[in-house]
Amino acid sequence: MKRLVLGYNPYLCSMRLTAGLSKFLFIFLFILPFPELKAQETKVFVAQVLDVTNSSPLPGASVYWENDVSSGVVSEIDGTFQIGIKTLPARLVVSFIGFETSIRVITSKDFDKPQRFFLKPEDLSLDEIIIQETNPDQSVRNMETGKATVPIATIKNIPALFGEVDLLRSLQLLPGVQTAGEGTTGLFVRGGSADQNLVQLDGAPIYNPSHFFGFFSVFNPDALDQVELYKGNMPASFGGRLSALIDVSLREGNNEQIHGEGGIGTISSRLTLDGPLFSDKSTFIISGRRTYADMFLKLSSDPDINNNKLNFHDLSGKLSFKLSERDKLTVSSYQGSDFLGLDDEFGLGWTNWISSAQWSRNISDKFFFDLEGYHSMYNYRVEFDDPDNGFEWKNNLSESGMKGIWTFLRSDALQTYWGFQSQFYHFAPIRLVPAIDSSIDPLATNPKNGMLNSLFAGMTYEITPKLSTEVGLRWGLFNQVGKGVDYLYEGGVLDPGSSIIDSVNYKSFENIKFYQGLEPRVAFRYLFNDEFSVKAAYNRNFQYVQIASNSSAGLPIDRWILAGTYVPPIRADQISLGFFRNFDNNRWEFSVEGYYKDFKNIIDLRNGAQILFTDKIETEILKGNGWAYGTEFMLRKNVGKTTGWLAYTWSRSWRKTPGVSEGLKYNPRYDRPHDVTLVLNHEFSPSWSAGLTFIYTTGQAVSFPIGLYNVDLQSVPLYSKYRNEDRFPDYHRMDASVTWKNSDKGRKWKGSWNFSIYNLYGRKNPFAYEFREIYNDNIKYSSAEDGPIVTSRQGVVMTYLFTFLPSITYNFQF
Amino acid sequence: MKRICIILLAIASFSCQEEVNLPLGTIDSTVPVIEAIWSDRPFYNEVKITLAQNYFDNTEINVVKDAQVYIINTRSKEVVPFRYNQGNLSYIPVETTKRAEIGESYQLFIQWKDNQFTASGEMLAPPIVDSLTHKYEKERLFRDEGYYIKVYGKIPYQENNYYRIRVIENDTLKNDRDDYLLFDDTFGLTFFENGLELNYDFAEGDKVRMELYRLNKEPYNYFTQLVSLLYNDGGLFSPPPQNPDTNIKVISGSSDVLGYFSVASILTESVTIDGKGD
Repeated sequence: MKRLVLGYNPYLCSMRLTAGLSKFLFIFLFILPFPELKAQETKVFVAQVLDVTNSSPLPGASVYWENDVSSGVVSEIDGTFQIGIKTLPARLVVSFIGFETSIRVITSKDFDKPQRFFLKPEDLSLDEIIIQETNPDQSVRNMETGKATVPIATIKNIPALFGEVDLLRSLQLLPGVQTAGEGTTGLFVRGGSADQNLVQLDGAPIYNPSHFFGFFSVFNPDALDQVELYKGNMPASFGGRLSALIDVSLREGNNEQIHGEGGIGTISSRLTLDGPLFSDKSTFIISGRRTYADMFLKLSSDPDINNNKLNFHDLSGKLSFKLSERDKLTVSSYQGSDFLGLDDEFGLGWTNWISSAQWSRNISDKFFFDLEGYHSMYNYRVEFDDPDNGFEWKNNLSESGMKGIWTFLRSDALQTYWGFQSQFYHFAPIRLVPAIDSSIDPLATNPKNGMLNSLFAGMTYEITPKLSTEVGLRWGLFNQVGKGVDYLYEGGVLDPGSSIIDSVNYKSFENIKFYQGLEPRVAFRYLFNDEFSVKAAYNRNFQYVQIASNSSAGLPIDRWILAGTYVPPIRADQISLGFFRNFDNNRWEFSVEGYYKDFKNIIDLRNGAQILFTDKIETEILKGNGWAYGTEFMLRKNVGKTTGWLAYTWSRSWRKTPGVSEGLKYNPRYDRPHDVTLVLNHEFSPSWSAGLTFIYTTGQAVSFPIGLYNVDLQSVPLYSKYRNEDRFPDYHRMDASVTWKNSDKGRKWKGSWNFSIYNLYGRKNPFAYEFREIYNDNIKYSSAEDGPIVTSRQGVVMTYLFTFLPSITYNFQF
Repeated sequence: MKRICIILLAIASFSCQEEVNLPLGTIDSTVPVIEAIWSDRPFYNEVKITLAQNYFDNTEINVVKDAQVYIINTRSKEVVPFRYNQGNLSYIPVETTKRAEIGESYQLFIQWKDNQFTASGEMLAPPIVDSLTHKYEKERLFRDEGYYIKVYGKIPYQENNYYRIRVIENDTLKNDRDDYLLFDDTFGLTFFENGLELNYDFAEGDKVRMELYRLNKEPYNYFTQLVSLLYNDGGLFSPPPQNPDTNIKVISGSSDVLGYFSVASILTESVTIDGKGD
């Protein structure tokens, strides 16, 4: 009983809880009965083991409980087996030579109907174990709406730009997720902007999850274990961003022998090593990737190109220690950098560096504790080596945090969790330091700091066998704290021309502004039968950091701002309703999800806003509201030789900001009402497989000119006062890939070749339109090369990228 | 930035451009465009009024010739009437020697049909320009080899530091979107004392005239927003395109208005590239 008292945290009760929260926590901590000790009966679990490729039974498969290896049985001639168990839930391991091992969590509900284990033929390594965390009918049975998972193996099979398998670009293929434009990795989830996504790796947030100005994400797929995407309906244990949680985990090394894998691609190469560290109780994995775009630049005969540097790399690692039968410690780190250099005179570089540690303790078979700490740092640096105006411009921001979660599985029907999270944000001053003898003056903004302390609790409760609920509450307490400066403006007017009448300096950790917010999370699921359910959910999220930008693509020098005296936190409320239906023994999944989402206090920028160096950023932004709604359809097949999904999303997103578009509603650029995605992968044989993707979306919402005028000797396009009333043409594209693998299982070294084509039929999807004068009917007119101007007229010049882009990658394992 | 784009596109390789036809909206009302300059140099003082037209309309710009234009000194209430001048296609003071006086504030009034427009500005003292020098420089990042001019001077003001430089090379005004040299005191003004290099490579024998404008904040913002718009390619990295914020207000009438009213002091200096350098 003493350990259960851990759940009663005196700190919680000393806080000034609101009446509602107090009641909520009281229910969780006291009313819910503690586990009863009683003798338990042995139940018999019956199931069948089948080959996923042809559904034929697999006799002789080994079956055992992970926590009791001696309990093992072998499947019969028809693939069936029976195995006894006293305590549920428990993890069941099913393995068979030549097939990937399956590990599934079994609960009492799995005794209600015949269970099947479909094993996938081993094609990579006899040592590899694929952990199947979810049951085949999970989409129907679980409580989650708006959640999507894409197995890393599936992501690796999706045809990729330049052959670079990309996690974030793969997520763009899911319903409800939009992209800003061709080739970029920014995600716009259910009407939210990219900075409303919490992208985290092993629990630590990544502030700029992209390389190369957004064209590639920072994740090396070889090092990843899994990715989960929550489209707003995230559990109460997560918070801080409005629109999505992209929860990525690094995989742990195996504990048997050194294993490696990697690839040599068109623009980068990568290598991953993993294995036991000191004994079979500790493992390591280390993974690296680097581009060699520099080499291509040097091949150019143009000195404007060949004297330059352009590269990125990333390096990640994870150590796992099994401290005891009940304790486990993991330590992860990721470091990734980009660099662009022009001659030796100009350089732009940026770096993400995150580290995290997690301690997991099984207090009992039903009571768990997880404690994690992390630090995430992002910085950029711009250097200009010029005798007159040289400078170094740099900035860094960091977030440090700690999170503790207690999980109590009271029974199969009731599972609870509660915990805390503390986050400290430090946005360092933006500094511009002149070079020696430079004529420009130094410049520095004031730092911004914030502390977000959150308490959360939640439970999943099966009210009846058909009706279940998941309820959670998160309470965020945010303080903008010193060291920092707040300005007071004449008349309280926030305008670029406003006069500062006073400034207030704050010491370190002195409170500047306080906000608090309750974030309820509620979901219900009604199970009509084993293959059909209806789910509904409501979520509220607060966000205390955001990017001050009104361009659609992220830049390395984006300015993050904290909630403070003049910038309130942004808030989103989302309601959703979903229908989930499986067919053919869960081989097919079909779902329809609808949502409505309301945004408060989201920001936009004033016309001509200067945000990079200003210390008065509150005078450059506008505050408004928004809303989004949509319906997402998805048909998915996860097993068999042909897998993939077909998704269609109809959605709309709106903003209404005083000072923009005459104060009337307008669409953000990523409002794309129709979105169709087809993802297919087919295994022709153990050696040959192919992938195909097709995307169709409505064009981006943009502003085209309605007229033209002359001012200051310039022909200037005239724009409507209403934003984004026009559309790019519809976007569509097909990609394809073919993979050949060495299927000789006896060889240690296993190689495979992947040949992929991006934009198979060469669709010219616009990347940008320029509205400008065209001289001598030549869009590339140059006065130096093309003589005098004879004719001049207004025209529209379209830029498009990546038409029929083939690439080849060699992948290997040893 | 252009060079960065070259490299990005080189890596993206396979990127292409082509001219396309897009169905664009049209102007559904008359939109006057006003360019008004009131300075201490009578030669520069004029008010142009034209009309915006549809984007693909290749006819000549419509010039408004029947407006009433005048400027008032807000302290002395002196009225400076303007008349239309067919030679310039603009309005110039009836008394052509009239000019703005340092320290005075002025208000522009325009009456055209049922529409009345107004704008105001303050005449600020100019900075000090000591000299223009030139020197041959080898190719550097973002700059080709050639003769480069430096402007030496002093800006003794603590506020309202908004400047524009225009360059005339052999009687030809440099007026591409690359040619807007605008600066304020964000990064200090020491560089002006140490020599502000004009970003042009000149050849021996070139005659170069520099015009230095001290602007009010609103017209300065207008020009910075204009440059931003001229560079806006409608792509992901650009903000949504917007018309530059005009400092001209509509007093009456339903018409929108574009353009600016700039009250500015202007300094001019000339130099001939003689090959001797400094």
